[in-house]
Amino acid sequence: MYRTSEIQAFSVDYLSSSHYNICMSTNTFKGGLHLPEHKELSDGQAIHAVCPSAKLFCIPVTQGGAQNNPVVAVGDKVARGQKIAESDAFMSVPVHSSVSGVVKSIENKLVSGNVQASCIIIEKDDRDDTAFLPVSDPFTCTKEEAVERIKQAGIVGMGGAAFPTHVKLSPPADKPIDCIIANGSECEPYLTVDERTMIESADAVIDGLAIVMHIAGAKSGILALEDNKTHVLPILEEAIEKAGYSQTMGTVLCKTKYPQGSERSIIQAALNREIPRGGLPFDVGCLVCNVGTLCAISEAFREGKPLIERAFTVSGKACTKPQNLKVPVGTLISDLIEEYFDVCDDVKKIISGGPMMGFAMKSPEFPVQKNTSGILFFNAAESNLTEESPCIGCGRCIKGCPWRLTPVLMARALKNNDTDTAKKYGLMDCAECGSCAYVCPAHVRLVHRFRLGKMIARKKEANAKAKAAAMQKGGK
Amino acid sequence: MASQIDLKQLNLVASPHIKARATTQHIMIMVCISLLPLCVNGVILFGIPALITLAVSVVSCVVFEWVAQKLLKKPVAIQNGSAVVTGLLLALVVSPVTPVWMIILGAFFAIVIGKEFFGGIGSNVFNPALIGRGFMVLSFAAAMGTWVTPVDAISTATVLATLKTGDTSFVTSDYFQLFIGNQAGTIGETSAMLILIAAVFLLITKIIDWRAPLAMTATVAILTFFSGADVLAHLLSGGLLFGAVFMTTDYTTAPVTAWGRVIFGFGCGLITFLIRQFGGLPEGVMFSILIMNAFTPFLNKIIGRKAGEPRKTLFKKSPGGV
Repeated sequence: MYRTSEIQAFSVDYLSSSHYNICMSTNTFKGGLHLPEHKELSDGQAIHAVCPSAKLFCIPVTQGGAQNNPVVAVGDKVARGQKIAESDAFMSVPVHSSVSGVVKSIENKLVSGNVQASCIIIEKDDRDDTAFLPVSDPFTCTKEEAVERIKQAGIVGMGGAAFPTHVKLSPPADKPIDCIIANGSECEPYLTVDERTMIESADAVIDGLAIVMHIAGAKSGILALEDNKTHVLPILEEAIEKAGYSQTMGTVLCKTKYPQGSERSIIQAALNREIPRGGLPFDVGCLVCNVGTLCAISEAFREGKPLIERAFTVSGKACTKPQNLKVPVGTLISDLIEEYFDVCDDVKKIISGGPMMGFAMKSPEFPVQKNTSGILFFNAAESNLTEESPCIGCGRCIKGCPWRLTPVLMARALKNNDTDTAKKYGLMDCAECGSCAYVCPAHVRLVHRFRLGKMIARKKEANAKAKAAAMQKGGK
Repeated sequence: MASQIDLKQLNLVASPHIKARATTQHIMIMVCISLLPLCVNGVILFGIPALITLAVSVVSCVVFEWVAQKLLKKPVAIQNGSAVVTGLLLALVVSPVTPVWMIILGAFFAIVIGKEFFGGIGSNVFNPALIGRGFMVLSFAAAMGTWVTPVDAISTATVLATLKTGDTSFVTSDYFQLFIGNQAGTIGETSAMLILIAAVFLLITKIIDWRAPLAMTATVAILTFFSGADVLAHLLSGGLLFGAVFMTTDYTTAPVTAWGRVIFGFGCGLITFLIRQFGGLPEGVMFSILIMNAFTPFLNKIIGRKAGEPRKTLFKKSPGGV
């Protein structure tokens, strides 16, 4: 384990030595919150790979990246791992069938985000056909081939954003990458799946990190963890040693704080580099990948397996058996209820994702997606149900904002429909992490207001642009 | 156990789905707790009149708020405790011998005109307790300028008024008397010691921010030092510490940004010094804070560096700045 100051100098001597005795970390970023973790509910539960007995699987056509189109028709037989949706766009990521079966229908269904989206419904059969990609060695093929493989395997960021990984791995030529961060911070309360992935698949995570380092041409790789997961460190370090990467890889502990898992925070905490406003990690020579994504990258090369399975945490006090499950993508949550856990009568909220940034769902009949990191069943006591009251201007939201914005003044400006002033205070920089709304004593729904505000601001910008274009046309 | 989840009971409110426990009510209760020792001390020093003043002020503030919200057809929100805080603050910044009917009028002005007419909690421009007191001072100058000594309640002048006449004969033990609160003044402002204890309590519980109070007291101390007056006497007497701790930290009427708060405190200190030194009144804390309240919307424009923005320097103008 090394600290920020030491990373800067990144000495090989240091890496090969073993000063692994620091447990509390000082690596951190400004702002953010110390949240009650509630990880104990599903902590220590091994990831349980299951497949529900239900026959129907509902696979969303687009799961991150640009809009896809189905490439199968109703009635087609599909094999496990067969591509069923793609598009020509660079930003697009193909989607594969997670089971062997027959395409029953293609229709709009409820998906994560509480919206309707086009889904391919597949009825599972007993053929158990698989159609994986050929096994490939990431270190001998060309970089272009490797990036293409990651795209063809349908890999997206599994931390929650579902950003296409192959796009991340294709930074502009003038932005060299020197450090890859494996993001194992898992700062959302309740979730434990990344921690379990690191414990159970340390080798695959390390392999995935080595592959990404190779593709990006980075000379160092860092596994960044929060200091509530100190017990995972020896496992990772052993795996690094075993794989022979001790010269180039290391672990970094960061002070447990939300939102550590965001790229901006983790780069600040682990490397003390600051992404410029409106920039991306490659602007500071970094690339951040979730540990689950790295695991999937390793499998895509070593087994030729596309991203068709997803491990996630089921938790919350209205869930009878909190645990970590691994299911085929497209499994309906409602099919898992009763078979693997049950939901109490007093359930008040079903959340797809973590408690800070996840979506409240109107029904449990929605599929597990590539970016589903958790499904939470909250009772009334856990949920945030209080009504809004007037803002008293205490300024807690300013202290809590990890982006150093001024949420209270953004909200006040938006109340007057003044998006320009709100932008000056940082409306468009807001990552919707929810820190401000979490600390607000008046329970103002700040994130909700900022989402709406951003929509209005973008619309205004588009309108202004269209108007300017029309004026120019008229002038000619 | 529910094999069939009742979908109607599901709540769909947007993220975040968890919430810190602190509420507006919780904050107001903490402020009341911090004011309690000052109230007790006021009653010990000035006896039953102080107790009556406190009780009348709190009760009338709560009643006026309830009536105003009813008449303005707004949801009644007296349970958030802000009227209680205003009532306590108003009582603590008036002389213990103020007639009851004046206090009721002051409470009316504070709550109805100073707060509810501006839109209620969170929307008022001026500190309600101070605007109530301001009204009383301007309307009933003589009564509001009547002070009594602690315990024996003999009519006397405040230390600042004495200073104004040029009398500056202080010995060390006098400062100690001032520090523990053995001086004429309003019910709550006399004991610097108790005010500092309340300040520490509020700082530890993160109810208030240190910037504005520190900036205000430091400004007064430095300017008083350079003017050649008695710095300690100026700090320990009058409403400086009380105003700095409880009034410049008022959420609604003071800026929310870090540098906004510093400049707010500095402005309060500067105006206080100018009034004390050159004005016709012995004390200037109230007017200084009320004047700076008017600057708050402008001071809120001073925002810090956003994440990823280049560091600002004093001499280079950068976007998002003033």
